[in-house]
Amino acid sequence: MERIYKVSVERCIACGKCELACAFAHGSEGNPSKTRINIHRRGPELGTPVVCFQCHDAACVAICPTAALVRNQVTGAVDMARERCISCRMCVAACPFGNMLWDESYHCVQKCDLCGGDPKCVPFCPTGALAYVPGDVAAVRPEPLVR
Amino acid sequence: MVTLTVDGKTVRVREGATVLEAARAAGVHVPTLCHMEALEPWGGCRLCLADVTRKSWDGWCKLIVSCMYPVEEGLIVLTATERVVATRKVVLDLLLARCPETPLIQKLAHEHGIERTSYQPNPEPTDCILCGLCTRVCDHIGVFAISTVNRGAGKEVAPPFHEAPPDCIGCLACAEVCPTDCIPYETSDASRTIWKKAFEMVRCPHCGRAHITREQSAFYAGRNGVPASYFETCDACKRRVMAKTFEGLAVAR
Repeated sequence: MERIYKVSVERCIACGKCELACAFAHGSEGNPSKTRINIHRRGPELGTPVVCFQCHDAACVAICPTAALVRNQVTGAVDMARERCISCRMCVAACPFGNMLWDESYHCVQKCDLCGGDPKCVPFCPTGALAYVPGDVAAVRPEPLVR
Repeated sequence: MVTLTVDGKTVRVREGATVLEAARAAGVHVPTLCHMEALEPWGGCRLCLADVTRKSWDGWCKLIVSCMYPVEEGLIVLTATERVVATRKVVLDLLLARCPETPLIQKLAHEHGIERTSYQPNPEPTDCILCGLCTRVCDHIGVFAISTVNRGAGKEVAPPFHEAPPDCIGCLACAEVCPTDCIPYETSDASRTIWKKAFEMVRCPHCGRAHITREQSAFYAGRNGVPASYFETCDACKRRVMAKTFEGLAVAR
């Protein structure tokens, strides 16, 4: 795991580009309600992007009865092995942060997999609220956005 | 590691792997209906047939079910011999007689050159191919609500005594995993019914949406050693609650 997916809430302007980028990256119709990153809009131009934390000791991994959720040693993400998933949705119930998403149109669980090491939402973020950076860079406190 | 050949391709797989795994590792397509990687092999559909032989067997071949047969060093697997193709066609012909209106079976049969079954088609067409995925998924989760009942032509998947199954938790995994989508269910933000059992739903205390059945939350709580209240909040509200943590964050203006 060379890089860390970093969310700087201070810099989010709730533009929704990450949601759209995600929806287009993972679904054919680009429906923003099918995104794996959700912005919680808490005021004018104030948002909190909510996305999978790829928890170290993840509840979804612990509860999965078929070991369909596995840690990707290269990206550090918790990946979903679709061929092992039986759609029981225990992970959806187990995730304490609501980041396992049941997709009613594709009938499968959607989760952030960091796009296999190239998160498509990051280049679309206009304010740098989303970044995929080396660990030491990620540890630097984010600059608040001058609005 | 075990080395064997599948249709002339040499492949190395882990010890204890099945011939099906070896075939897939070698990039050889073997049709299956009842196979699912996450579940124990079952050998129910008989579509993954293959011939196995060895150099020392003097041309003698053995017909095996590849999802159940463990790999052996030096095994020669042939997935497209005349006998395999002919036997697979009989299996598909029978399946098409049982399920004449099922698109999945029609497509598979068509791929194997069968347009119409040569047997008497089932006068009461069903979509259930008896692959057992639903019952095995239910068992795998640890619920054991449904199983196959009766034998022979009368075999079917059903809850005990054809009544609303008392053990069913309404997770819908059986319906989701069904390759022919033949398990009817109804679910909405208010109620859920499957196997003729109507479920009491847990309503999210924040938004009121019914997102999980009472039985599901009790079962998950018991299975994982957490209180049932852990499963009360719906995923959208969990995100909202999580995002609230950052509400006090100072934003430069």
